[in-house]
Amino acid sequence: MLAHVDSKASHSCVKLVGCPLGGGPLLIITGNCVKVPRNFRLLEELEEGQKGVGDGTVSWGLEDDEDMTLTRWRGMIIGPPRTIYENRMYSLKVECGPRYPEAPPFVRFVTKINLNGVHNSNGVVDTRAVSALAKWQNSYSIRVVLQELRRLMMCKENMKLPQPPEGQIYTN
Amino acid sequence: MEDNGGEDPVNNNNDTTVSSEGSIIKVTVKTPKDKEEIAISEDASVTQFKEEISRRFKAKQDQLVLIFAGKILKDGDSLNQHGIKDGLTVHLVIKTAHKAGDGASSSTSCTSQVGSSSGSSSGPSSAAHSSTVGSTGGPASAPPQTPNILTGFGDLSSLSSMGMGSANFMELQQQMQSQLMSNPEMLSQIMENPLVQNMMSNPDLMRQMIVANPQMQQLMERNPEISHMLNNPELMRQTMELARNPAMMQEMMRNQDRALSNLESIPGGYNALRRMYTDIQEPMFSAARDQFGNNPFSALGGNSDGGVQPSRTENREPLPNPWGPPSSTNPSEGGGGTGTTGSSTTGSTNPSVSNPLGVNSASLGNGMFSSPGMQSLMQQISENPQLMQNMLSAPYMRSMMQSLAQNPDMASQNPASSPSAGTNPAQQLMMQQMLQMFAGGNASSQTPEVQFQQQLEQLGAMGFINREANLQALIATGGDVNAAIERLLGSQPS
Repeated sequence: MLAHVDSKASHSCVKLVGCPLGGGPLLIITGNCVKVPRNFRLLEELEEGQKGVGDGTVSWGLEDDEDMTLTRWRGMIIGPPRTIYENRMYSLKVECGPRYPEAPPFVRFVTKINLNGVHNSNGVVDTRAVSALAKWQNSYSIRVVLQELRRLMMCKENMKLPQPPEGQIYTN
Repeated sequence: MEDNGGEDPVNNNNDTTVSSEGSIIKVTVKTPKDKEEIAISEDASVTQFKEEISRRFKAKQDQLVLIFAGKILKDGDSLNQHGIKDGLTVHLVIKTAHKAGDGASSSTSCTSQVGSSSGSSSGPSSAAHSSTVGSTGGPASAPPQTPNILTGFGDLSSLSSMGMGSANFMELQQQMQSQLMSNPEMLSQIMENPLVQNMMSNPDLMRQMIVANPQMQQLMERNPEISHMLNNPELMRQTMELARNPAMMQEMMRNQDRALSNLESIPGGYNALRRMYTDIQEPMFSAARDQFGNNPFSALGGNSDGGVQPSRTENREPLPNPWGPPSSTNPSEGGGGTGTTGSSTTGSTNPSVSNPLGVNSASLGNGMFSSPGMQSLMQQISENPQLMQNMLSAPYMRSMMQSLAQNPDMASQNPASSPSAGTNPAQQLMMQQMLQMFAGGNASSQTPEVQFQQQLEQLGAMGFINREANLQALIATGGDVNAAIERLLGSQPS
């Protein structure tokens, strides 16, 4: 499906030059860490999302199946029980930029939510409020971010915030 | 509504596994709780898929919400459209009829107990918030002097009493409390009620509720410690979390026990501990025991059947019966709440499980806790036994004591005015009477002399030679050595 492998590593260490046939991943070893190219990572995440890896409380997938850049994703968080978010489903948009997974993705809620760290006006998630985003590591993934947001819903300071009526979405 | 690849007119919605069009794919449907594999035609529509799912999961179709790859599957879509293929997983959420978020369900179970549906103010909890605040302000002052710290909490019932009239308001509260104490499940149920949690997570609100109680106000005036505790938002938050979470409460108490035993090592701390124990804890425990049948804190600690008992907790036994035979453990100390003079003979009692403080009644302490604050507290309590019982049932009483234990400085800051003569005979008498009343019919069958054998020995060792007088004093104080000493000394002009 994918012909182009993007490897934007700019480290001056040992590089494995040479592209295996068939467009497999080009691994570049820098020091002692292995950096997996972006698209490979995203494909993996796509597969995980379709296979339902995880506990079933979050879901994610490409917004548009034809999106070759694997940039725009959709996420879904099921509101945790015994909180005000229970029984609600929150839809999110996740954007994985070109520097993903080195750089964290942009996350915003589509479904209206009242949660600390989410802008009330447009649902954009404040990077500083979510530790997975603030202290992003390239081993993190979309799933991690979604699960972290779900955990935030279970925090004392959030679990009882009054919520807008179900089904409303941000329009901007 | 899209039909499935409709070349076969017979192929209607009853299609489950056989389809002449398209092949069967196996899709895993996963809920947070379980997982099922469902075979469905790959050309099927979401509706058909849901039908199958509703059969398998025994839920109504309109309760089902399907999510795949971060998108909700709408009834009009087809599986193909979303790219659902063989071996992939679809997430399922079954919307349950009652939402705990409204507080309706969990409150109905405690309706019978509380006499109101605490969530009866249905609708967003913020609205209930204000109505609760309003209602606690009102009826709290209306009912007669029931010094009930949990009045505010129990005033959840006043939500209904606004309509129902509060005829047996007191009984209701009493009932609720005793039931609460005896049934940790219900307690946790109530605690889980989002409305309650909402209330309790607001320290200001709780504080208001508590302060609104006139009895409490009186108490606060007399006892700066209490107002200190109430005014400290951090502490309030902590205690409310405690109250909310019985498991945490348990852990907290254990920590407290540990902290208290640490206090022992501080010079003078041991005595302070002992003082605190005899002054506060024992009468309370004995008081509560009578009402609740055993150590109420052990009940709070989830002592009941079937409760999950984490292995990390240790102390579950009720404290020893102070009014029982004196030989086994520490003999009864009525806790006269007085300062003492006389030498301090430090006994050594190893802290046992049932005696976490390692208190030895034989040791006399200095008057670290015999500040006027404490005394007036005792007086207050003695004047109104009900108050003690009810204070006891407040889960956060424990935290108050903890804060006191951790701040012996605070207590000692209060000018220690002649502690030894502090408690006048009237108070003393009242205290004894109250304690004896609590002891109820639990008088020992032994003669007082035998019963107070140990105390007599102590008094003798201290230099009170007059055995008769000692015995009298002990009887009067119900075995409290310190109080007896007071008495003995008080009989002489000081």
